[in-house]
Amino acid sequence: MTTFTLRRNTPHELNELVRGAPDALVALTEDHRRSLSARFRAVHSSDHRRLDAWSVEQAGRTSSSFRWSPATARRLLGNAALRRVARDPTCAPSESVTAEIDDQLLRCASGYARGGSLASWLASLGASDLALVGAEATNWLVQVLEIAQGLEGEWRVATSDAYYDVASARTTLRARKDLEVGVGDGRVTLRVRSGSPGKSAGPGLRSDLTIDTLANPHGVAPRRFIGLWPEAGVVLSVDGTMADLRAGARDLVRTAVVQQRRRHQSAA
Amino acid sequence: MATCTDPSPRSVVEALRGDRRRRPRVDYSSAPGLRSILEDGIFSLFENTAPPTPFIIRASSLRQQSTSTDIALSAQARVRGILVNHLLRLLSVGASVTDPFDDALRAWRLEARSGDLLDFVERLSGDDLARLATDVTAHAVTLSRSLGPVSPRWMARSAVRATQILCNGSVILRDVVDLMVGTTVGEVANVALFDVTTAPLGPGAERTMRYHALVQTLRSGVVPLRTSSFSTATGEMWSLDVDNELLTRSAHEVLGALANIAQHA
Repeated sequence: MTTFTLRRNTPHELNELVRGAPDALVALTEDHRRSLSARFRAVHSSDHRRLDAWSVEQAGRTSSSFRWSPATARRLLGNAALRRVARDPTCAPSESVTAEIDDQLLRCASGYARGGSLASWLASLGASDLALVGAEATNWLVQVLEIAQGLEGEWRVATSDAYYDVASARTTLRARKDLEVGVGDGRVTLRVRSGSPGKSAGPGLRSDLTIDTLANPHGVAPRRFIGLWPEAGVVLSVDGTMADLRAGARDLVRTAVVQQRRRHQSAA
Repeated sequence: MATCTDPSPRSVVEALRGDRRRRPRVDYSSAPGLRSILEDGIFSLFENTAPPTPFIIRASSLRQQSTSTDIALSAQARVRGILVNHLLRLLSVGASVTDPFDDALRAWRLEARSGDLLDFVERLSGDDLARLATDVTAHAVTLSRSLGPVSPRWMARSAVRATQILCNGSVILRDVVDLMVGTTVGEVANVALFDVTTAPLGPGAERTMRYHALVQTLRSGVVPLRTSSFSTATGEMWSLDVDNELLTRSAHEVLGALANIAQHA
């Protein structure tokens, strides 16, 4: 039975959620990984499958083709700029976003950027476009920074999202994460999201928990995985228990099954 | 006898920030009470029957109804408003704006890509486009002259969205604040909300200012320091310090707007 907790997004409530995370550390073993791999292999796929919380929430619907926009670039730029602010607190949010954009442009100018990358997209923009991208990224940075500054525990910006390739199943799982808080010898992971949580936000969050655990080299689960919706002012959390990890894995496999069924139906 | 008065602020941003020493302690306690006022009011309005589709309240729901029936004029005014707002976003991150109309239009196109209003701009004749450009430039000059430099340290963010779901989704409050400065973290109230309109300020603007403060309080649990509205048509700025009385008044205005909408639904 999954224990979702819904709270208001205030520093007090958030710190309570971090402090109240379960004490026991749960870890996934090689047997768990093998079992998950077997389940995904059983769901045939002709091409490479990519699953994340969004696909779980959308019941396996695939997203339309990706394109860069101020909205899709803000998290990447905002989190990178937040790392600068965390390293050097004297650096102001909008200045660190500008520095990050300049770095991306430099990468492109020196020939290190691939076609279709964020750097090459930014290099194709005019000055006013770049300013708008900067404004969006600053919005993201400030909202994550406000959350982080309200935390009592030691926090850090997640170095990257969690990726896990399921062995021999042509499947990649991805969990987005923005902040990590150290709690004892474990961690609490936070993910910031836009908009308001929908009815399937819980299963999405649970799949993030499972993927974050699978991507951990030792298979150790975060004590709690917290999703924050600052626009709506709410916080939803799921505990890092074995029952929740299993439920998250089931949600992901079920999504793969639904996706496969949809493909068959559209091919027929 | 000599009387010392406060010096007038040199810019809109300076007026928004005000005197740091006079800021009240941050208020975390008002939000739950305001939510109760709203939810109790909604409950008595619908008498236990949840509406089949949620009622959505926006800042525009609280403004007076426009009497204008000219759709083209109305679209032009909306386009002007969007472009001036995009300009504010550019100015908020310290961008140097050389051609206000072109810069704002480029930024809007990058964000929106398509839409009825963008199509409207694409369909404008050369003369109409030139008129729109002149109009936007005039508003932009008023804005950029009055705004003043936005310090990077003030945590300025633009087009900040908020959504509040009340009574299990029966009513949804939606809002977008054009510019927000200050942080919710700290001992004293810090957050200033800034709304830009291309229309002259009227009673509707006051309700909008209160609504922004209410939704931000519900969203963050923290009462903002002040809420302001600036007209690029007149260069006038209204500013209200936010307190519980102002927020309670706004909650009742929301309930009034809701009753009005429910009556006509």
